[in-house]
Parts: sequence; C-alpha cells; structure tokens
Amino acid sequence: MESSDKKKKGGLSRRDFINSSIRFSVILGIGAIGGKLLTRTQVRQMVWQLDTSKCIQCGRCATNCVKTPSAVKCVHVYSMCGYCDLCGGYFRPEVKELTTAAENQLCPTSAIRRTFVEDPYFQFDIDRDLCNGCGKCVKGCGAFGNGSLQLQVCHDLCDNCNECAIARDCPADAFSRVPSDNPYLFSGYDSKKKG
Amino acid sequence: MKQKVIIWLSLILLLVVVAFMVKDFFYQPKSSNENPYEYKMDKLRHIDSSLITYIEVHQIKPDIEVLHGIVIDKSDNIYLAGKDRVMIYDFELNLKTSFKIGIEAKCIAVGDDSKIYLGVNDHVEVYDNIGTKLKSWSPINVKSVITSIALSEKYVYVADAGNRIVYQYDTEGTLQKEIGKKNPEKGIQGFIIPSPYFDLLIGREGELWVVNPGRHQLESYNEKGDLISSWNKTSMDVEGFCGCCNPSNIAMLSDGSFVTSEKAIERVKIHLPSGEFKCVVASPDKFVEGTHGIDLAVDSKDRIYVLDPEKKMVSIYVKKK
Repeated sequence: MESSDKKKKGGLSRRDFINSSIRFSVILGIGAIGGKLLTRTQVRQMVWQLDTSKCIQCGRCATNCVKTPSAVKCVHVYSMCGYCDLCGGYFRPEVKELTTAAENQLCPTSAIRRTFVEDPYFQFDIDRDLCNGCGKCVKGCGAFGNGSLQLQVCHDLCDNCNECAIARDCPADAFSRVPSDNPYLFSGYDSKKKG
Repeated sequence: MKQKVIIWLSLILLLVVVAFMVKDFFYQPKSSNENPYEYKMDKLRHIDSSLITYIEVHQIKPDIEVLHGIVIDKSDNIYLAGKDRVMIYDFELNLKTSFKIGIEAKCIAVGDDSKIYLGVNDHVEVYDNIGTKLKSWSPINVKSVITSIALSEKYVYVADAGNRIVYQYDTEGTLQKEIGKKNPEKGIQGFIIPSPYFDLLIGREGELWVVNPGRHQLESYNEKGDLISSWNKTSMDVEGFCGCCNPSNIAMLSDGSFVTSEKAIERVKIHLPSGEFKCVVASPDKFVEGTHGIDLAVDSKDRIYVLDPEKKMVSIYVKKK
C-alpha cells in the first residue's frame, strides 16, 4: 500500500532505477566508444620527414637505420636536373673519362643509372633497391650542380619507429615528425606549383 | 695461504670487470662519428701555389645589401650594381656617386656615352651616370632571366638564361636579332643553361663572346649572329671546367686572354685566347664555400676585379712581379 503510494507520487521503484541506470550506462558506453573512434579517425598519423635543406650528408642515414639497406633513399627531382654530361653526383671527383665504368662512379653501390638522351644531355635514375642512402651523390650534385639529388625517407619502406635511430643521431637535426598527408619536403622545388 | 691468494685474485678480477664496465658506459669509440661515405673535395679545392701568379692588392667594400654586377668604363671608373643601388668608384677607388634604383639589378653594363644599362629579371633599364632613369625597355617574356649585358659600338647584347638565347638590341631597345638558337646547318649547337649563369662580353675585334656553360664552352659570334669560333675545356682538374654551369662569368684581358670564374670550386683563372689554361688568379680558399656568381671586370691596366657576392666586396688583383 505504501509502495503504490510512492509510485503514484512520482518516486522510482528499485527495479525502474536499475533499468534506467543500465540503459544510461549502455548509451554512455556507446557514445564514448563512438567518440573515441571518431577522434581516432580525425587524428592524423605522424611520420618522419627529412628536411633536405638542413641535411649535411653525414652518412648516418646509411649506417643508423634499423632497416638494411636504409629506408632513406636518394630521390631525383628531375625538374631541377641539368641533365649534365659531367654530373657531379654521378662521377667521382678525379674522373678522367666520362664513361659508366665502375671506377668512374661516385656511388658506392652503383645505384645511379646514366642514360644518354640527346647531345649533350644524360638522364640519371636511382635504383632504389641498390641505394643505401649514404648521400654521397647528393653532396656531389649540390656542390657542382643544381641539387636535384636529395635524400628522403621512403615511407613505403620506413618502419616509422617511435624513436627513429637516424633522427636521434642526426647532427643537423633534419628529421621531424609531420602529419602523413604531407610527408616529403624537397628543397629548391615547389611541389604545390609543379604537382 | 691458499685462501688469501683466491681473495686477491677475486679482487683483481672484480676490478678488471668494473674498469671494463666504466669504459663501456662512459667512453665511445671515436670512429662512431666518422662518415664512411664522405665526399672529399679537398683535392679539387687545392691548387698548387706555383700556378697562382696574381696577388690581391686592394679591396672595395661597398655599402650595399646585395651585390651582383661589376663593370669598368674606358676611364677606369668602376660601376657596381645590386639591390636598390648603383655605386660608381674612380680609378683610385674613391666613391664618386651612389644612387638608388628601387629595384635589384642582376647585371650592369656601361656605354661610351656613360649610359648605364641594368639587367632586371626580364627587362633592361637605362640610367645616366647621376642616377636619372632614362628608359625602361619592354619586358621580354615571363621565362626571361637576364644575366648579362654587353655593349658593342652599335648594339646592346642581352643574355637571357631563361630563354637560353642572346638578344641583340639597338641602343634604343629595339630588338634586332636572336643569337645562338640551335642551328646544326650553321654549326650552332644551342646554349645549355642548367642554372642562371650565362655571361657574355665584347672581344677586341668587336666580336661577341658568349659562355655556353652546360658545355663548358666559350663561343664567339659576329653581329649577324654567325658562329665564328669556340673552345671548350671539360675537366675536373684546374685546366678545365666542371659542374653543370661553368665558367659562370668571364672577362677579357688586353691580350685577348679570358679571365674566368667558377662556382662549385670557387676560383678565378686565366685561359689563353685558344682556351689553354694559363694560370690562377684567385684560389678557392679566397672564397666562402658555396659562393655563386663571382662577377669579373678588367681595367685598362689589366688589373682584375673580382666581385664576391657572398662577402659583398670587390678584390683587385695584379700580376705578381
């Protein structure tokens, strides 16, 4: 008699209270999971980026990466290249003959292919499987040419370690974490302008 | 007795282990910072001192933000151009005049009538020698990058690195001819200009000399645009030119020899009129590594003026006695 009075007066029974609590908890849980998933999709993944304008070609990209060969590779920005016959990135400084003989090549792994285009132009392509990211050609190209050979982290090869062994030891502080939607940074080249 | 020996041996062993651990923790081998792939340019930058036959005797340090070009007139007045300013010095290196131009001139030439021609990206501006702007020629096109101007008796020659061509104008700025366009029938190979270093000068007979830097070649043309002669020297050694665009600048001595400057291995040399290497004027240690666009001029006494855009100064060299 007393309980039916309470019901009539608008009070909650224990059963109703438990039911409401469960419903509220379920809704709250679904909301929290949904919110978490939503924020996860909105937070961009971060990747390592090498700023080529800071890079000093110290050789540590070749020696310190946990991958063998390194996930840092030389990338050729063709639009900057002079297609020179005497390419400072391809030939050793003391070269006597401009031929593809191994003793004339600067690259320690012969990862650069030299192809005649038309007089006096030659095209230079990087064999990614052979490139170890030592940066020797990058230094030669920067010193004698237009700087079209540049080191970059290849994200299809990079393990994206939380603590990158190269970044940790980079003397030029050229590595940084950036959102994955803009992972590459070339110097002397406007990627937005030229596509 | 035996126990004492064991204790002593154990202590020694412990000390050795501790010493090894300390070394391992606090001392890293020196070789860890060495670059096994180092690109060594020391050999190329080194020049045998017996090849250097010139000595620096004076310097001009103009008060200018950016310094690009130098030219000397028949009275040996020295004209310097750069960002927002033209400065004129007399033969004794006293500043005669300095005036604002409101633009960045990349190159400069001066006529017998003292008119000053400035190359400004895609067009030429003409001033008198007190800073009055006389004329601004029409821009060539959007690709145009003017890198050098030279004056003959009748014509003004303008080197355009963007369009890889030399334009021949009359003194009023009317285009007369394009020189150096690829024409195999006439033996003209075309200019290879990988970066904006494209210099020219007027020779002793009034012929036009143009640098074809991608080929490490100097080419001479008559006023009709016909190729007269050429020479080239491609080499990593001091006898030639290397890299994508060398020589970057040229000047001519009274005997017809060429003074050349280079980028990558910053140096100033002299080549005989035939192109053979003669001697070195300024070795790479005179410049900051990475200096580009070392402009040159020669006065009536064959003193060589070397404009260093990095140090913002002009060094004057004379032949060693």
